[in-house]
Amino acid sequence: MANEPKKPAVVLEHVTKKFGRKTVIDDLSFKIYGGEVFGFLGPNGAGKTTTIRMIVGLMRMTRGNIFIQGHSVKGDFRQAMRQVGAIVENPEMYKFLTGYQNLVHYARMIPGISKERIGEVVKLVDLEERINEKVKKYSLGMRQRLGLAQALLHHPSVLILDEPTNGLDPQGIHDLRNYLHDLSRREGVAVIVSSHLLSEMQLMCDRIGIIQKGKLLGVETVSQFMEEGGGKVRFTVNDGAKAAQTVKDKLALNPLTVLTDAFELAIAYEKIPVVVDTLVNGGTRIYGVESVTQSLEDRFLEVTGGKQHD
Amino acid sequence: MTEFFRLIQNENMKIYRRQSAKVMLILLLGLILAAGLIVKTSQPAPKENTHWKQELVQQNQVLEKQQTQVGGNRQAINQIKKTIALNQYRIDHNLKPSGGETLWGFVSGAAGNTVLLISIFTIIVVAGSIASEFDTGTIKLLLIRPVYRTEILLAKYLSSLLFAVLCLVLLFLFSWLIGGLFFGFDGAAEAHLSYTSGVVHQTSWTLAVWKDYLLNGVSLFMMVTVAGLIAAAFRNGGLAIGLSIFMMMGSSIIVTLLSGYSWVKYVLFANLDLTQYASGTPLRSDMTLGFSLVVLAVYYVVIALAGWLFYTRRDIKA
Ligand SMILES: Nc1ncnc2c1ncn2[C@@H]1O[C@H](COP(=O)(O)OP(=O)(O)OP(=O)(O)O)[C@@H](O)[C@H]1O
Ligand SMILES: [Mg+2]
Repeated sequence: MANEPKKPAVVLEHVTKKFGRKTVIDDLSFKIYGGEVFGFLGPNGAGKTTTIRMIVGLMRMTRGNIFIQGHSVKGDFRQAMRQVGAIVENPEMYKFLTGYQNLVHYARMIPGISKERIGEVVKLVDLEERINEKVKKYSLGMRQRLGLAQALLHHPSVLILDEPTNGLDPQGIHDLRNYLHDLSRREGVAVIVSSHLLSEMQLMCDRIGIIQKGKLLGVETVSQFMEEGGGKVRFTVNDGAKAAQTVKDKLALNPLTVLTDAFELAIAYEKIPVVVDTLVNGGTRIYGVESVTQSLEDRFLEVTGGKQHD
Repeated sequence: MTEFFRLIQNENMKIYRRQSAKVMLILLLGLILAAGLIVKTSQPAPKENTHWKQELVQQNQVLEKQQTQVGGNRQAINQIKKTIALNQYRIDHNLKPSGGETLWGFVSGAAGNTVLLISIFTIIVVAGSIASEFDTGTIKLLLIRPVYRTEILLAKYLSSLLFAVLCLVLLFLFSWLIGGLFFGFDGAAEAHLSYTSGVVHQTSWTLAVWKDYLLNGVSLFMMVTVAGLIAAAFRNGGLAIGLSIFMMMGSSIIVTLLSGYSWVKYVLFANLDLTQYASGTPLRSDMTLGFSLVVLAVYYVVIALAGWLFYTRRDIKA
């Protein structure tokens, strides 16, 4: 998808943000295309929300520029925002108004949103029963749904959701995932999600951008990302420590993890029989050999070097 | 234009759906009712007076004497001259003064202090409208629409001023109603006598009362704008409310303290009370209505511009 010679929906060009002297976002450049779900990944304080705030014009960039469907956020704010639906951090709505009044409020700010459309999005996020209640009575998940509803009101071509699964129940997460997938595929919407639930991103996203301490470490498709981290094999044995020593001595391989009854190796598929032979000859009893697909989470921790707070 | 009208609609919805707006409106009406009850129960029963013309003639004779005794006090002389002229007008035109409180007397009496109360209410409304969205975090979803921040700020400001207008209209209608119920609707036709530069005019009470609202409204307008500026600058509603009410209440003390200096005429608070020109006794003799209007305009532009810059230029960190 990224390879298609297509016009990008969102372009970040050398975006830098400083708070005082502290550089929080450092020369960030990437492109997001219509029809894809882009995951924005990074540990706490990496700068995900700050980047999103700059995309939607809540914060000024110190340097660089951002374009949405070709419209500069700096120079053509109205046209740029016309394309965007977003939730930034928590979906804070007016608590003294009902869910419906909240939606009417946002609908009034963009021309051409009909009553029918409001009804449509209410149905879409499954809030029909409670939409006429005051938002102060809503649960976190219901507010999250209402947040999604307001972001979708005007058929945006770019949808930005900052930690959208926060507060949703498993059914809600499942529905959201399917919905975002549909939205990107059927309507060609560019969807940007940031999330801490990394396993979620694995299922939800087509491409993932990893950000750490304000720097972009890389943008990859989910499958690329997984392949690079692949080739981990777990051997379940009678004595983990002894077996690990054997492969170290005889094959010069360094086990990744050693447990009492197992150890893990990063080796290519073809090498498994050699290891098995060596272990058997060394007197180790093998109960199981399985290839472990590394989860995005492990891979993520590997790339970022563990959780880093700044 | 319809787009901007929708923004006003939004801000209105956010003002009137809040509990506080309802409380303020009820308080306003309750206070007018209470004032009516107090005046009604405390005033002596009006007695039928058939000798009013002789009494006014006598009163004028006494005043003429006093006028020669007060000496150089310009303000006192003006007051005496005014009373004499008004009395004479009543005698000439056969307009009997009422024995006690009347409908229009009540409406006019309720004006001054109630407008001050409305100022306080409006300061609360404008500060809440501008600053509270930063506290609640709703500002984020508000400012990511295809609408410029300038338009949103303007909608907030105008809808707050509309709240003041609504309060004034309610004040007028309700005090008229209470005045009529308690002191008789026959007083509705009473003529209003005004005295300007030595001549007595007979005008409409409605006009006179609204002129009074308007003159008091100058201070309301300026202080609400100040509150808006503080709210935009510090994004803190409590601070904006506290500081601007404090300034409004303390303004006469500040002016008195500074009245010895010639530059006091450039202080905002010295120019807020335009009635000083109607009564012919400005704070300083070198001050004129035109001067005050220019000073007010300069302050207004500076305050509004600063508020606009604070609101539109800064990052949203809420
Ligand atoms: N208003 C501010 N002033 C100074 N520093 C700030 C401000 N807002 C954010 N930061 C800093 O910028 C960095 C990035 O913050 P940001 O909220 O973008 O992180 P994030 O990736 O969204 O984190 P999280 O996963 O916790 O939501 C942090 O180090 C934070 O301390
Ligand atoms: Mg964040």
